[in-house]
Amino acid sequence: MRWPVPEAEHMDPGTLGCQGCGGALSMRLVLKEVGPDAIAVLPACCWSIIDGPWPLHALDIPVFHTAFETAAVVATGIKAAKAMKGEDPTVVAWAGDGGTFDIGLQALSGAAERNEDIVFVCYDNEAYMNTGIQRSSATPAGTWTTTTPEERPEPRPKKDIMGIMAAHRVPYAATATVAYPGDLAHKVQTAVAAKGGMRFLHLLSACPPGWKMAADQAIEAMRRAVQARVFPLYEVRDGRDYTITVWPERNVRLEDYLSLQGRFTPLLADQDMLERVKADVAERWRLLVERHEHSRRLVGTGR
Amino acid sequence: MREYIDGATAIVRGALAAGCDFFAGYPITPASGILMAMMRDLPRTGGVAIQGEDEIASIGMCIGAAMAGSRAMTATSGPGISLYSENIGLAIMGEVPLVIVDVQRLGPATGGATTVSQGDVQFVRWGTAGGYPIIALCPTDVADCYRLTVRAFELAERFRCPVFLLTDKEVVMTPATVAADAFVPLPVPERTTADTGLPYEFVPAGDVPALHLIGDGAAVRFTGSTHDEGAFITKHGPTIEALNRHLAAKVDDHVAEITMMDHIAQAGAATLIVGYGVTAGAVASAVELSDSPLAALIVRSVWPVPEEAIRDALAGIDRVVVPELNLGLYRREIERLAGDREVVGVNRIDGDLISPQQILEATA
Repeated sequence: MRWPVPEAEHMDPGTLGCQGCGGALSMRLVLKEVGPDAIAVLPACCWSIIDGPWPLHALDIPVFHTAFETAAVVATGIKAAKAMKGEDPTVVAWAGDGGTFDIGLQALSGAAERNEDIVFVCYDNEAYMNTGIQRSSATPAGTWTTTTPEERPEPRPKKDIMGIMAAHRVPYAATATVAYPGDLAHKVQTAVAAKGGMRFLHLLSACPPGWKMAADQAIEAMRRAVQARVFPLYEVRDGRDYTITVWPERNVRLEDYLSLQGRFTPLLADQDMLERVKADVAERWRLLVERHEHSRRLVGTGR
Repeated sequence: MREYIDGATAIVRGALAAGCDFFAGYPITPASGILMAMMRDLPRTGGVAIQGEDEIASIGMCIGAAMAGSRAMTATSGPGISLYSENIGLAIMGEVPLVIVDVQRLGPATGGATTVSQGDVQFVRWGTAGGYPIIALCPTDVADCYRLTVRAFELAERFRCPVFLLTDKEVVMTPATVAADAFVPLPVPERTTADTGLPYEFVPAGDVPALHLIGDGAAVRFTGSTHDEGAFITKHGPTIEALNRHLAAKVDDHVAEITMMDHIAQAGAATLIVGYGVTAGAVASAVELSDSPLAALIVRSVWPVPEEAIRDALAGIDRVVVPELNLGLYRREIERLAGDREVVGVNRIDGDLISPQQILEATA
């Protein structure tokens, strides 16, 4: 793991991101690692606003604002045309959870199945924050949003996008968060180096206005998500080889993560649902550890 | 009693008053207020509101629900209408009663999510392959949003076709003070259903068959392909022609019944202003502010074009002014009716509204 990260900046200060925006912090760090040869493809998402209007735009790399459902496929087209000309930029599709889990999933699945030579980054703030905090299929169970009101909070668990990507057998998929910048930087380096196929990064990205919490708690919330095993940090190679990269060390309970955020008020008030969510978190963690250990046993088997 | 509410709230109230019990939509500015209010309010009335994974899913759910007996509505903006396109055609072909709200924003493409526009007025008319008629109503203000939403449900039932409520960002998102009696209860639109006979009877062409619900009574079929009156797929030329003439005639033969407009006639007026939607307010102000008499026509039923009513309003007129928040999309409909009269546009595509003064300058 290399640290510190490169000094060169490809994102200027003074963006239109909200205070504590995990998506803005993620972009800054990811671009430091990807470097100046990146081309960003942004579908409708917070980042289509955060980049800002001329002359206040934040990114100093080429930016392609595209239609909501097309991040993966427009990135595919750009990469194919560049490759024909003998050029080799890192084409980064950069989508929110809506543009990844929901409307973007068909294009993402197609690109993953064809093993397109792109890096797809999902910065996941777990709802449609840009249009006013509507739920997405990345919204966890028990959450308040403007379309899952307090009397009927989100009933279903978050969609397992990493499982979906692993099922496509993409060469490299990883979860990360800016709360663990060294781990994130290492995964971006790995993704950029793994040229020739589909690389997928799933970044948990705190949204203080949407998560209903203080902006200065953003990093702490993401850290607790990892420590409470809600958002484990791991990578998957070829859809089979699982490696947990950050093992929880602190004794952080699920409630310690939830209680930082006003959006989980309905969940904290519903003991039955809270128990189900706890059991689900524990079960997912157990499965992940099993996969990690199973992958270690396979090392050297020549599989 | 007065209320300070926005058009989204008025549309939701209108839908509930009209018996809407199914809504599906996807977040998009400036239509998200309708989605959020429906997700909150519809389940309280026993209805179903679903946030789809995209626009294609949302309108698809509405078509399924409508054909199984729900009164369905969806709401989006230009980029979402673009994704609705194939399913708009399916609803036309399958004769599905369905209300589609288009909250117009500036296009093309992403355009301006919070920028007012009337750029979809021809798009909703021709927004699917094949070129068959639709109905579109265009509210001018918050109170109109309620009334025209109810009317849209009535027309969807009456003509078994998708009916657009063509609104815009300002009318839907800008709160206004509205007299509470603007929200008087209106009768729930009648629905004529049948479970015997031909589910898609299209002879004579201008008649509308009773709605046969899928899964009710006889084994009702549904298809987006050319079909006979039983919805069995056919390649039989005369049957296909009869079907397609029916899909057009059932709307085109009833223009007078669909027509909704306000005509401000003034003695001695030689200039007529034709407006619709959010520009109606500026049109009315221009008429009031003018030193010389001006006539005005506010078209609420923009599709099908109320040609007879427009021709009537053109009597004695030698100049027509058409203010629009586009480059003259509806003006072409007026031009083809206006004969030798001079037709001029007042057009803005910069995200600002047209002022009464701009209209007055064009009338001079």
